[in-house]
Amino acid sequence: MLFYSFFKTLVGQTVTVELKNDLSVVGTLVSVDQFLNIKLDNIKVEHEDQHPHMMSVKNCFIRGSVVRYVHLPPAAIDTALLQDAARRESQQSTATAKA
Amino acid sequence: MADTVTAPITSVEEPLDLVRLCLDEHIYVKLRGDREVRGRLHAFDQHLNLVLGDVEETITTVELDPETKEESVHTTNRKMDMLFVRGDGVILGLIPSILYTAPLPKKLDNHAINLFRPPRERYETPILFDLSKD
Amino acid sequence: MSSFLPNHLFTTSGSLVDLLDKRLLVILRDGRKILGFLRSYDQYERIYVKDVYGDIQRGVFVIRGENVVLLGEIDNIKDDEQPLQQLPYDQVLRMQQEEAEARQQKEKVKNQLLHNQGFSVDFLETDLY
Repeated sequence: MLFYSFFKTLVGQTVTVELKNDLSVVGTLVSVDQFLNIKLDNIKVEHEDQHPHMMSVKNCFIRGSVVRYVHLPPAAIDTALLQDAARRESQQSTATAKA
Repeated sequence: MADTVTAPITSVEEPLDLVRLCLDEHIYVKLRGDREVRGRLHAFDQHLNLVLGDVEETITTVELDPETKEESVHTTNRKMDMLFVRGDGVILGLIPSILYTAPLPKKLDNHAINLFRPPRERYETPILFDLSKD
Repeated sequence: MSSFLPNHLFTTSGSLVDLLDKRLLVILRDGRKILGFLRSYDQYERIYVKDVYGDIQRGVFVIRGENVVLLGEIDNIKDDEQPLQQLPYDQVLRMQQEEAEARQQKEKVKNQLLHNQGFSVDFLETDLY
């Protein structure tokens, strides 16, 4: 749930989603769900000449499993808070596994 | 929240505990698709989804020389400020050298450390602990 | 810290409601692109090779979720402006075949070389998606 919550805090930011087929889509993050499926608005495709089919697409839904990277705006991220949350979540899941 | 956590923060009982010790450390991650990334670990989960900061990515490609018809291996580098890496692409991660040089956490098993220890010449920092004679 | 706590309800299907009856581009894991209206009888398959494309008329498609890479809503204004050239689909199919064969050949050479360098090459192209 850590990354689902994390991406929710980034809604409204401009991100670049890089897919495993090398397609890179820049757009405004509209929503995210628990599978980390992503919806982007006002999209622009990098290297559009190699992906001509994306030319007339304005917004899109990307299945979480096909994502390789998401490039994030560093200014929007509190890294200390994020590390804290990651530490807490990993210890919680260890504790749950033992119980 | 704190009372639900039974294990002390330094205990290493399962592989993901080692990853937790890498938080805020500079790590190396090998990925599918002939990619490697180095960066500061800010977050991870049980799928090995990661958030890395100050990232440098190396992509290995094979190019064919149109003249000589010879294939050669090339690497290209990319720098990124902040990157989310989806866990299904992760093959392995290397523990930063500080984990070998720092005092051992109480429960850290020497065998586990040895298994994860990369060749010495990889790191400039000398490894202070000689774990081979225990 | 409360912003990271899992205290929300969530649904996936709900988020697709607003794409209903819109004209969509669906990219599948094998690279196929399907254009059509979500929940309508008006779908066809379009094959792109570089800057030409060909359409194959298809009926109703039910697509299994795991094969979906991306759903994109088509902007009709942008669609009219696109500079691509349409060709008969059998011609485009042939071009696609040739492109695929060239790529496979390249992939084979690449895998061999990278395998020698210690890279993992034990997966199919479609595993990458």
